[in-house]
Amino acid sequence: MKALWTNIDYVASVVLLLIGLYAIMAKGNLVKKLMGLNIIETAVFAFVMAAGIVDGGDAPIMGPGANPPFANPLPQGLILTGIVVAFSTSALALSLIIRIYARFGTIESEELWGVE
Amino acid sequence: MYGTQWPVVLLVTPLVGAALTPIIARRRAQLAGYWALFTFSIVSLAAAALTYQIHTQGEFSYYMGGWAPPIGIELRFDEFSASIAVICLVGWLSLLYCLGYAKHAIPERRIPYFYALMLLCLGGMNGFAVTGDIFNLFVFLEILSLAGYALVAITGDGIAELAAFKYLVMGAISSLSILLAIGIMYSLTGTLNMTDLAVRLSDVEPFPAAVAVAALTLGFCVKAALFPLHIWLPDAHSIAPSPVSAVLSGLVVKVGVLGMLRMFQILYASQVLDLTALNNVLMWLGAISIVMGALFAMVQDDIKMMLAYSTISNIGYIFLGLGLASTYGIIGASVHIFNHAIIKACLFLGAGSLIHQTGYRKLSDLRGVGKAMPITSAAIAVGAISIVGIPPTAGFLCKWYIALGAIEADRLFFAVALLFGALLIFVYYIRMLNAFYFMPPSHPEILEVGEAPLTMLIPIVILAILCLVMGIFGRIPLSFIEPAVINMLAPIGG
Repeated sequence: MKALWTNIDYVASVVLLLIGLYAIMAKGNLVKKLMGLNIIETAVFAFVMAAGIVDGGDAPIMGPGANPPFANPLPQGLILTGIVVAFSTSALALSLIIRIYARFGTIESEELWGVE
Repeated sequence: MYGTQWPVVLLVTPLVGAALTPIIARRRAQLAGYWALFTFSIVSLAAAALTYQIHTQGEFSYYMGGWAPPIGIELRFDEFSASIAVICLVGWLSLLYCLGYAKHAIPERRIPYFYALMLLCLGGMNGFAVTGDIFNLFVFLEILSLAGYALVAITGDGIAELAAFKYLVMGAISSLSILLAIGIMYSLTGTLNMTDLAVRLSDVEPFPAAVAVAALTLGFCVKAALFPLHIWLPDAHSIAPSPVSAVLSGLVVKVGVLGMLRMFQILYASQVLDLTALNNVLMWLGAISIVMGALFAMVQDDIKMMLAYSTISNIGYIFLGLGLASTYGIIGASVHIFNHAIIKACLFLGAGSLIHQTGYRKLSDLRGVGKAMPITSAAIAVGAISIVGIPPTAGFLCKWYIALGAIEADRLFFAVALLFGALLIFVYYIRMLNAFYFMPPSHPEILEVGEAPLTMLIPIVILAILCLVMGIFGRIPLSFIEPAVINMLAPIGG
């Protein structure tokens, strides 16, 4: 129990990840599926960010007021790239959803099974 | 001096070329094709020079901007990175094929973007093959995957967008799973460089490392479309324009396999985990993939759907070889990455020509096409014989090596499964060739169509010849990849 509490940030990411996975699998609406995907993205980003946090750490900016310990800036850099990727994925997915709606008049996956 | 900068040419040219394509083709859409072909010729030149360098001097590294790791970005050129040669070969031929194909198959205003996406996809793949840093692995993976999702939807007809959306959701989940694994590995070791990782992973806790390995395996198996995770593949690969199918099926699914090879390189070197269980899972899934892919392919009437399911079978062969963890098995699997790319590109481009000329895509409609388009049909026949694995074609040697690997690893059952799978594959390709050559045409006007234009015919013929040549001179890639595999398996006494 104590191990769970000290790693509460990781636990939260895993819970978020499962919520997102549930949304992708259980929801029929394509926009909701995409939202599930976004939740998973956030979960993974939060997980990696949490790994870079140092207790009581400062922002690693050199200058007169800088004193260690510093938080690790690398995960933030990685996640910045990850966010850009997630943004483009969402943009592409939304435009695909618009096209699907224009063609079939629905974005419910059960109704779309029929046209396939 | 300039010779040492080939890695930069390899990675930067396709990105710059892709960004410039819509500008260059602003007034005349058809210019985009020639521009893309020109850009990719430079990339192919770089790939050829680098492959030659790997061949003459063995493994080497390139530091971007001269900054050595751990600060700088390392590009690693070893025998597995030589897959850039096959990426460029298949990519270049597909682009040449597009010159004739894109005019009719793709809406005119989308043509510049089509070529830009092709360049991004192929360039991303080159980057994926040569990077020495697991985070750049993810970045290149996303470049090529995003380009791939858009390419599936680009024709905009039928269920293209739906197939692309399905592909996107599965692909994005797998990418995130890979990113999660990269995050875990970074927090365990504090490094993203593959060489460092192999050293530092040896003294971390096995449990979190196992979670990372599981997430990586899951991600790469979705990308490679191994059996239970293949559901996105058939629709996406059959609805995409044919040159895109050739690139997706021949190359993009191999990204998953290359990723697995990189992961195994790190894991075998670090010895952090006992991989027997993972290898067993891969072997079984591989064997099931072979059989299920073949069974699904048998009942398809749509020629491209059949080829798409055949890809699942072949990915099964590769994973079976990887899972055997014996020298012959892995050599067979890695060479099958190359050979399957050539064979499947030949088949998809050939099928694309048939569809382009006749307007039909069902086997029952394509009867008798062998008389109307003799060269294309002959090339498809060579590809079909090759993918079944009949000597002396390219498919034979890899399957033979994987079977030898199964015997070497004392797993006779899998050697039998492999032969059984080859028989099933034989059945449905015979069905295809039977329809082409021996059945009376169901549409008499099919006998009137001629061969496709030269830009479409030449790539198919080159690929068909390669299918034969790679069979006869098959020792060359096998002996080329051998030192890398022996090196990789050395820590476990393979």
